[in-house]
Amino acid sequence: MEEKNKTVEVKVDPMNLLFARAMEIFTYIGLLVMIFPGIFYLAMGEGYVHTHHVVKHWHKPAHHFWHSVKGIKVSGYTWFLTNLHHFDCLSKLGIVLLALAPLAALIVTIPKAERKFKIIILIAVLEVIFSIVRPLIMEVAGH
Amino acid sequence: MDWWVWPLILFIFTFVIGIIAPISGVGGGVLFVPLCTAFFPFHPDFVRGAGLIMALTSALSSTPQFVRKGLASLKLMAPIVAVSIITSIIGGVLGLWITSNFPEGKHYITIMLGIILFIIFIVMLTSKRVEFPEVKKMDKLSEMLGLMGAWYEPTLGRVVEYKITNMKIGLPAFAIVGFIAGMFGLGAGWANVPVLNLIMGAPIKVATSTSMAIIAVNDSAAAWVYLSKGAVLPMIVVPSVIGITIGARIGTKLAVKAKPKLIRYIVLAIMLLAALLDIYKGLSGLGYVPKLF
Repeated sequence: MEEKNKTVEVKVDPMNLLFARAMEIFTYIGLLVMIFPGIFYLAMGEGYVHTHHVVKHWHKPAHHFWHSVKGIKVSGYTWFLTNLHHFDCLSKLGIVLLALAPLAALIVTIPKAERKFKIIILIAVLEVIFSIVRPLIMEVAGH
Repeated sequence: MDWWVWPLILFIFTFVIGIIAPISGVGGGVLFVPLCTAFFPFHPDFVRGAGLIMALTSALSSTPQFVRKGLASLKLMAPIVAVSIITSIIGGVLGLWITSNFPEGKHYITIMLGIILFIIFIVMLTSKRVEFPEVKKMDKLSEMLGLMGAWYEPTLGRVVEYKITNMKIGLPAFAIVGFIAGMFGLGAGWANVPVLNLIMGAPIKVATSTSMAIIAVNDSAAAWVYLSKGAVLPMIVVPSVIGITIGARIGTKLAVKAKPKLIRYIVLAIMLLAALLDIYKGLSGLGYVPKLF
């Protein structure tokens, strides 16, 4: 009882609670989308890239690997987002959701944050957005 | 060897890492990346990609609970990640650029990883943890941001309050840590915790919890670099994430009964061995020393 009362004494900032909730939701969905298609992919041995080919070429750097297994130059995200009917690409969508979890969690806290933290969190959000769009800009720029 | 053996080996390997990591206090990614680079046939691009996703997954799974208890603070995390996100992206881009533009890039990365692991080994061996550091005076920036908090500590039966200081030293330190984490696919709790605890005065529980939140944000930014370059292979990532998640649940329970000191020394010895093997493997790849296997 005493412990319960003392626990109540600690007030967690509503901004923190929103952050936790959004992160949790995206994490659960991301884990489900990553793991189950991933298991199906491993069980079937077939996907966008056949498991035999993965093993044969995984000693190569990433860009050589994709050139060897699919004959493509990988950049950006369209190469796997347009192939979601394959379990390995669907599993990558789960990783995308996991990578989006902190961004979503930061965005939902902005309205509840104090003015100075609004600015700091906004900077962090813009940096994460930059990390997402950077490969797309490079792709368009032809690098 | 049949292809299906590899996911199985990875599952067992990460399952064991998952068990020993919570007992030894060493992060799973710090063991996974160097050992995988030393003993598995995958290119370091894929090992770092998998290490990053593993660190991200475990940080995402634990952060919400820490935040709800008041242990991980968004106020403390926000200025730190505003600095370290950019450096972790630069680290990730540079790491993949080295391996794709230099024929020997893989070996340079392996040597650098060995050196980093050696530094981590020294840090873990020598750094002391202060349960409740006493911060007499907050620095101006921490005071301006109101970097203080409280949580209920069940072992003491009371609410513990804390204050943060030395942000001017802490922020550049986190910029360096972010770079290393992005470049090598490491979680970087080994560096986050001492900086938060010993330099910035965060109690050890707050330091470990906030470190997890920092890892979640930093690694999510670096993950886009690896995803866009195709350095994340579900065949490596999925069994590894499952293995370490199940292993960590067992490890957390065993940590209560096990002799953590002995296991910690064994793990540190493994880290030292992995560091030396990575350096040797890199040097043999460059033709400076004969190949071991």
